[in-house]
Amino acid sequence: MKILTFFSLFSTFLSANSINVEENAGQFFSSGHTNNWAVLVCTSRFWFNYRHVANTLSVYRSVKRLGIPDSHIVLMLADDMACNHRNPKPATVFSHKNMELNVYGDDVEVDYRGYEVTVENFLRVLTGRLPPSTPRSKRLLSDDRSNILIYLTGHGGNGFLKFQDSEEISNVELADAFEQMWQKRRYNELLFIIDTCQGASMYERFYSPNLMALASSQVGEDSLSHQPDLAIGVHLMDRYTFYLLEFLEDIHPASKANMKDLFKVCPKSQCVSTPGHRTDLFLRDPGSALITDFFGSVRKVEITMETINLTDLIKEAEQNPMNEKPQKVTYSYVDQLPVSEIIHQKPKQKDWHPPDGFILGLWTLILLVFFKTYGIKHLKHIF
Amino acid sequence: MAAPLTLLLIVAVTIRAALYRSSLADLISERVEVVSPLTAWKRVVEGLALLDLGVSPYSGDVFHETPLIIYFFHFLVDYAEITFMLADVITAVALYMTVKDYNKQVFRKQKYALEADRYPLDCLELIRSPKEMYYIPLKVAMFYLLNPFTILSCVAKSTCGLNNAVIALFILSTIKGNVLLSAVFLSLATYQSIYPLTLCAAALLYLMQRQYIPVNYRRASFWWFIAQYAFMYLGSLFVIVCLSFFLLGSWDYLPSVYGFILSVPDLTPNIGLFWYFFAEMFEHFRLFFLCVFQINVFFYTIPLSIKLKEHPVFLIFMQLAVISIFKSYPTVGDIALYLAFLPVWSHLHRFLRNIFLVSCVLLACSALFPVLWHLWIYAGSANSNFYYAITLLFNVAQILLVSDYFYAFLRREHHLTYGLYLKRKDGSEATLVLK
Repeated sequence: MKILTFFSLFSTFLSANSINVEENAGQFFSSGHTNNWAVLVCTSRFWFNYRHVANTLSVYRSVKRLGIPDSHIVLMLADDMACNHRNPKPATVFSHKNMELNVYGDDVEVDYRGYEVTVENFLRVLTGRLPPSTPRSKRLLSDDRSNILIYLTGHGGNGFLKFQDSEEISNVELADAFEQMWQKRRYNELLFIIDTCQGASMYERFYSPNLMALASSQVGEDSLSHQPDLAIGVHLMDRYTFYLLEFLEDIHPASKANMKDLFKVCPKSQCVSTPGHRTDLFLRDPGSALITDFFGSVRKVEITMETINLTDLIKEAEQNPMNEKPQKVTYSYVDQLPVSEIIHQKPKQKDWHPPDGFILGLWTLILLVFFKTYGIKHLKHIF
Repeated sequence: MAAPLTLLLIVAVTIRAALYRSSLADLISERVEVVSPLTAWKRVVEGLALLDLGVSPYSGDVFHETPLIIYFFHFLVDYAEITFMLADVITAVALYMTVKDYNKQVFRKQKYALEADRYPLDCLELIRSPKEMYYIPLKVAMFYLLNPFTILSCVAKSTCGLNNAVIALFILSTIKGNVLLSAVFLSLATYQSIYPLTLCAAALLYLMQRQYIPVNYRRASFWWFIAQYAFMYLGSLFVIVCLSFFLLGSWDYLPSVYGFILSVPDLTPNIGLFWYFFAEMFEHFRLFFLCVFQINVFFYTIPLSIKLKEHPVFLIFMQLAVISIFKSYPTVGDIALYLAFLPVWSHLHRFLRNIFLVSCVLLACSALFPVLWHLWIYAGSANSNFYYAITLLFNVAQILLVSDYFYAFLRREHHLTYGLYLKRKDGSEATLVLK
């Protein structure tokens, strides 16, 4: 009797588990991504822009802590603050005053440094159009199952972001780059965070699907920096990224916090500027997108004793017959410009001659003056 | 005097021909002190080439010469060297004949004044004799032809030589008393570059005195003469401008030539004062300072002509100097023209006060120009301030030279009226001060 109840309990337990596994299996693939990438860019140089490097390194730290490996992070820092001559504490970049948190260390791998951080390089990283000699660490090798986090910080304005004090990227360029990424199936979902002045203008022009964007300030507002450190002498962090870092410190890989919590980071009372976000291009509900979908590289591992039959799906795919033969598209070139004819054609040498009227007029005048000076009576000596 | 003059001409032509054949010709024709955007030979060739390609030579910022120069060089571009040597020769001969005639007049006036007993008795040593004045025309021609500035300008084939020839012919025709030719040559000179307009006043004064018209603005004959001269001048200028229109069929030479001279868009360094100033100026003030600088050239005409009413030839000298110093694109060729006149005033040497300083500064600056240019442009260890400092110093030296001669001339005139040894009322020795 006891064995029977035990066995029935065991079977109900198993069946309940199996139901859970099926559900979990469904949930397993619900988010749609299998790998995570991060592109973290700091666009300003010079010592007084310390806070932008600190911003980027803080996000780098959080993203690494939550699981994204260095091989999947493209870190672009436009200047070296840790080894800057003016850094009173060399080899450190602090993100909190009183030097509480050093976000630099010997495990920071910077992929694009100094003058390599240009608009061209940034766009090439995003679209993947890099020369073949580019090492893997400098490439964004994402695929259509990648969730990408893109974080930009620096100085910006209405519709542009300044790179390196000499060039700028516009919101249209950025939107077009993301569209290229979508067309080339380089991302599954993309989270775009920007911490600059008038940052909301940078995501205004996005038109590709599966993009979610957050900005630290609206158009017409400036993003402000958080606190200066009197020992180092510069502002250490920007407000938005400071509160973002505080928020992310509470996130761990198993956290179920979703994007709606991220939108609440840094309200106007703390940030002075009004953070903005854009979710209309994002196909899922933002509430269902976990923070770790973008900030972490969470591998979903469920240990189960059950087997799940995946072969049904494979059989379905095979049943579609390959009936259509690949159509041969013949390419034809447009008629070439007849270059050889053009370059061998010498221009006709037209010699310019002064008009006859001019010559006539000029010499008449000269003769008139001559005879007025020397008298008409000389004429009779000539004729 | 024909033989020494011919010898001088042959020597000058030989020197120029020798320099043409040497490798220095290319080097010199690129020096910014010798050629300016207005006068460079490279630009003339460029403009003619553009014309052969069917494009207006005034398109773009290359060519800033007048259409008559286009016509002139269209046929003579292969004989350019001979043309420029000939221009120098014509200038020298014209100056020679001018100064000979002027000397005659000076001597004649002096004779009348002596007979009229107008000179005080102690200034007899200031009276000039034909013996000392005999070699002055030759010296003038020599000063012009053998001046290193002129030689450089000729070897560089700068059209400044042609401008100088026209101005010299204008001065010759004025001194000879030919009103029509004077007006025609002045209009040609003004047509080439606007600044000789200021010589109008001097020419008027001279011609009126020669024809014994009293220089008195209340008299009708004064205004009648001015009207005649102005009519001839403006008429010939109008005719030349219209004729230039018919050469190319368009008016674009007006902004390219006169707009360029007046609005100074090209700030290539030269020996003038404009480039540095306008390089560092804010756009807002550019028009204002442009007006100030351009008025500065024309401004000295009236005060100088009032002061030098009796001495129009000295006025011409002063005006030429003022033009060469303050024009928008001066070159050393312009300086050579007024330096050629210095032997005419060689009798003033006892009253010149700064001549040693001025000559040293001029020599030193002339030597330093290429040095600091090299340091600035090629070595990179100097900057534009160094070059501008030398430019400033050079111009200050020129101004000092001219004002020194002015002082000496007026002082001599004063002595001729009031006696050489001036005494104050109590009998002690007095000194003359130029205020």
